[in-house]
Amino acid sequence: ARRGTGTEDVGKTDTGDGKEKYRGLKDKRLELKKNHQKEELKKEVDLEDHKLSIKELERKYGTNIVTGLSSTQAAELLARNGPNALTPPKETPEIVKFPQADGAILCWIAYGIQYFNDKSSSLDSVYLGCVLALVVILTGIFAYYQEAKSTNIMASFSKMIPQQALVIRDSEKKTVPAEQLVVGDIVEIKGGDKIPADIRLLSTQGCKVDNSSLTGNLTPSLRTHDNPLEAENPWNKMSTSPVGTATGMVINTGDRTIIGQIASLASGVGHEKTPIAIEIEHFVHIVAGVAVSIGILFFIIAVSMKYYVLDSIIFLIGIIVANVPEGLLATVTVTLSLTAKRMAKKNCLVKNLEAVETLGSTSIICSDKTGTLTQNRMTVAHLWFDNQIFVADTSEDHSIFDQSSGTWASLSKIITLCNRAEFRPGQESVPIMKKVVVGDASETALLKFSEVILGDVMEIRKRNRKVAEIPFNSTNKFQLSIHETDDPSDKRFLMVMKGAPERVLEKCSTIMVNGQEQPLDDSTAEAFHTAYMELGGLGERVLGFCHLYLPADKFPETYSFDVDTVNFPTSNLCFVGLLSMIDPPRSTVPDAVTKCRSAGIKVIMVTGDHPITAKAIAKSVGIISANSETVEDIAKRLNIPVEQVSKRDAKAAVVTGMELKDMSPEQLDELLTDYSEIVFARTSPQQKLIIVEGCQRQDAVVAVTGDGVNDSPALKKADIGIAMGIAGSDAAKNAADMVLLDDNFASIVTGVEEGRLIFDNLKKTIAYTLTKNIAELCPFLIYIIAGLPLPIGTITILFIDLGTDIIPSIALAYEKAESDIMNRKPRHKKKDRLVNAPLAIYSYLHIGLMQALGAFVVYFTVYAQEGFRPSALINLRVEWEKDSVNDLEDSYGQEWTQYQRKYLEWTGYTAFFVGIMIQQIADLIIRKTRRNSIFQQGLFRNKVIWVGIASQIIIALILSYGLGSVSALNFTMLRPQYWFVAVPHAILIWVYDEVRKLFIRLYPGSWWDKNMYY
Amino acid sequence: MSQAEGGVITSAFILLFYLVFYGFLTAMFTLTMWVMLQTVSDHTPKYQDRLATPGLMIRPKTENLDVIVNVSDTESWDQHVQKLNKFLEPYNDSIQAQKNDVCRPGRYYEQPDNGVLNYPKRACQFNRTQLGDCSGIGDPTHYGYSTGQPCVFIKMNRVINFYAGANQSMNVTCVGKRDEDAENLGSFVMFPANGNIDLMYFPYYGKKFHVNYTQPLVAVKFLNVTPNVEVNVECRINAANIATDDERDKFAGRVAFKLRINKT
Repeated sequence: ARRGTGTEDVGKTDTGDGKEKYRGLKDKRLELKKNHQKEELKKEVDLEDHKLSIKELERKYGTNIVTGLSSTQAAELLARNGPNALTPPKETPEIVKFPQADGAILCWIAYGIQYFNDKSSSLDSVYLGCVLALVVILTGIFAYYQEAKSTNIMASFSKMIPQQALVIRDSEKKTVPAEQLVVGDIVEIKGGDKIPADIRLLSTQGCKVDNSSLTGNLTPSLRTHDNPLEAENPWNKMSTSPVGTATGMVINTGDRTIIGQIASLASGVGHEKTPIAIEIEHFVHIVAGVAVSIGILFFIIAVSMKYYVLDSIIFLIGIIVANVPEGLLATVTVTLSLTAKRMAKKNCLVKNLEAVETLGSTSIICSDKTGTLTQNRMTVAHLWFDNQIFVADTSEDHSIFDQSSGTWASLSKIITLCNRAEFRPGQESVPIMKKVVVGDASETALLKFSEVILGDVMEIRKRNRKVAEIPFNSTNKFQLSIHETDDPSDKRFLMVMKGAPERVLEKCSTIMVNGQEQPLDDSTAEAFHTAYMELGGLGERVLGFCHLYLPADKFPETYSFDVDTVNFPTSNLCFVGLLSMIDPPRSTVPDAVTKCRSAGIKVIMVTGDHPITAKAIAKSVGIISANSETVEDIAKRLNIPVEQVSKRDAKAAVVTGMELKDMSPEQLDELLTDYSEIVFARTSPQQKLIIVEGCQRQDAVVAVTGDGVNDSPALKKADIGIAMGIAGSDAAKNAADMVLLDDNFASIVTGVEEGRLIFDNLKKTIAYTLTKNIAELCPFLIYIIAGLPLPIGTITILFIDLGTDIIPSIALAYEKAESDIMNRKPRHKKKDRLVNAPLAIYSYLHIGLMQALGAFVVYFTVYAQEGFRPSALINLRVEWEKDSVNDLEDSYGQEWTQYQRKYLEWTGYTAFFVGIMIQQIADLIIRKTRRNSIFQQGLFRNKVIWVGIASQIIIALILSYGLGSVSALNFTMLRPQYWFVAVPHAILIWVYDEVRKLFIRLYPGSWWDKNMYY
Repeated sequence: MSQAEGGVITSAFILLFYLVFYGFLTAMFTLTMWVMLQTVSDHTPKYQDRLATPGLMIRPKTENLDVIVNVSDTESWDQHVQKLNKFLEPYNDSIQAQKNDVCRPGRYYEQPDNGVLNYPKRACQFNRTQLGDCSGIGDPTHYGYSTGQPCVFIKMNRVINFYAGANQSMNVTCVGKRDEDAENLGSFVMFPANGNIDLMYFPYYGKKFHVNYTQPLVAVKFLNVTPNVEVNVECRINAANIATDDERDKFAGRVAFKLRINKT
């Protein structure tokens, strides 16, 4: 069924392939749910509803088109079928679990065994178990809370405008929330309303419906009751009706609507793991691998050194706890949500926290045209009269074309009069371009155009009273109206007509040039065609305008025009001019596309529009750059057949849905790799899905933008789905990971920038967090091998991981980029890892080792100054830990009781803790940059770092001096001078890292650069 | 240069780098440790805050501070006897006479440096014979272990420059921990009499200065412990400057141990 269009256009923007699209979707759905064939059949029957007569419908749904359902019936149906709302997709937050849970369980088992051996055994391992369990639970709750918070933003967002519907029930018109509609309800739709459910039309008055949300196109289609067999008779939920009024019967609600079915198709599409989730998993594997292998290695060493198995298990726990960055999950979550917040300020609302980074690693953006790249409003672009093309730019000074010509006077009159669109009343203070108009997109554009140029259109129309009108229909392809003139001396009627240019020209015998009527000869007709083709080639929708002054003698003032019998001439008119309209690109888009390109991101346009329109827009926004050609362009330029053109010469390609249909996946892959600038036109929803999958096969991280319901499967399939906040449908928003609040493509670029920054900064955070693991691990190893009194306790380690280190590692998220991150290629999903070998090696074996040494110095200092020289400590462990030994001799011959030693051990813990903390300050400062010197980056530019450092020191002070008396925490009051023992090592770390960065900058590409740059 | 060669050269560079780097780190660590050790004196520790209250300990030293004597089973107490023999050897009168001074009782034996390092410092004699029935000299009962009347020796932890008793006399007393322990404990005698510890053994000047220092002991001979019962004994020192009520340190100025005499 070919759908009629409001105003025909050369580009043939709309051929009503909506139905075909549904069929495609249904096929897909069938594939997905083969086992639900019975249900499928039923849906098939439902779709036949438009073929039934009203009587049959009434019987089928037990309703009456005049009285509507009774309230009780409605309530029953509501209870049976559920509310008329889409079921939101289930959100399952993914919680990365570290092996702490196992640690906690091991601890309790250890205590259990200990308890059986000796009832009076200390509660240390119970404390530890509790703390570990608490850590697991808290980080879990925290991650869940963060996730829930961002989901809530979304929920509140979609509930912002509750929809109402005017429904006939119990023979009365009632306004009810759209959610309460049930099958069989009779609803009335006014212009501008959203269709609340799938409805079957019963009667209309000049009503058109905008199905763009469903089909992706802008043109409203005219729906008439005359041909009830037309496939689009059932109007679909979510469509909006821009003009007229209609009555319809609800035939499907909620998830059973076409929209609902598409939405459920979307939720059937598997969602890939986000790149950052993969990176974090990779990181967890590394950390867990290191922890478990070192743990087991030392377990074996411990057992072979004749330690008790139970003690060995406790060592194992200690090693694991030391190795696992407990605070990292919380840190990553906070970091991501900070960025999400920052992005929300820039109009990118992130639904799924992990998507924050995904945008940064995006290498291909598949963008919609309408609304994203363009402004989603038709605007007059060009005029052609007096054999000349004029540019009409209503946004700027509009006197750029010659308005003195008599032709313009006539043309402007036709534009103004032959137009049914009107401004909604009560918008006097609103700028013209922002006023709400009742009417379709083309007429709106014309109305605004004439309002801007001529002033008060309504006043002009009043002066030229309309006496008759033939509205547009798909057979005529023109619109005609007859007016009185505003010239009191001229008693003639003016007939004005607009429509498809070729149809309008057919009706003309003369043409107006410079205000003078001239006969329409071949040369003028030629000029017309040239102009028509030129404007059409720009992807613009072209309209022709003509008029005729009806002779006063034949048509006196009292003449009664009858539009049904057409008792007036509709031929031999005077052709006045052409006007072309386009949905213009957003002004920020070309810049954003250029930025994407320099950032190594390929922008692919995927649209349902006509190839010519698509290509024109692609050219104007730079998706196809000015100097690149398609195969067809080259063929045209060289005047050779398309087949003879070498494909290598073409950089750009415009591919239609029809061509895409015949392509094998391999051919698509080839297409995607061969061409750097690709436009897909005339595509259907599942083709969008195929394109996304094709891109993903190239190992690309694909971002997809979309607003329509038809986009939701692709949005879901994409690595990151971006929905439009203003124009977007709920289904699209549900399927997306991110919502652009201003519908602006340029916002994606800011998002990419933030995403890349967060990846870099996460690297820094992880490097910072990993470093101290060695300083936490070495004590255990030394303790097992050399038998020193334990330098740092497990609980103390947790106080570093979850106490002093948390705020500093979050502070790194505020770090500014080191260089222009938008000038480098997107990271390769599989090659550029978040945690790579240089990062791990540098953190563990360089800085980590330095830290461990520094912390040991503090530890040895405390012991030596209290009486145990380093040499005395070696192999002291067994005696040291025996409860019955209360006269252990130190290096000076003094004797120590068990508690005195224990207290000293805790002081050792505190000292080691402070040693690590002081060096972590240096670590934090060096992690600010990876390549540049700290002094290039600015030591004080990121104030949050200093908040982090202050927090570290304050927390350590509180632990030592405030909680030093709580024995379960194993902290003691540390002498002030011990806080400074590790400072030389801290300075060494800083200097060493500056040297590393210096060599990296001096010798790029050297072995140093390769091995030391993380 | 082939790629393999390049790889070898890079590896060599990396190896060399790590050698130099770790060598440097070792040097740095050694240096800081050396500097740190310069702050520590050879003779007295820098801080003694943890040792404000010396602890008490018993001999024979056992795994869980329990003295279990199976009278009929020689082996059960022989290890205690061996340990005690060894422990008391330096107290032999001959050795004491040879190495240590006879000091004036009742006052501290101070040996100040007065600007010149007074080294080595002299120690006061504590003769084994002062331990009376518990001295084990010519004792066929092996410190009473063979007869079920064991001697347990109490010693106070050495703390450098600690003036125990604050110029007043001090002594060790022992009691049963609970009422039933007191009953089961029966009577005991102490050597030196009253469990006195003389001030002349203080202050202690440290291992390095006070080379032949022998710390004073108090021996407790339990005469009629109820057999086959575990008795919790607690001994504490009564001295003006030694608190014995520390909640956390159960051995500050006191010692608790279990005594069990198994007789058939």
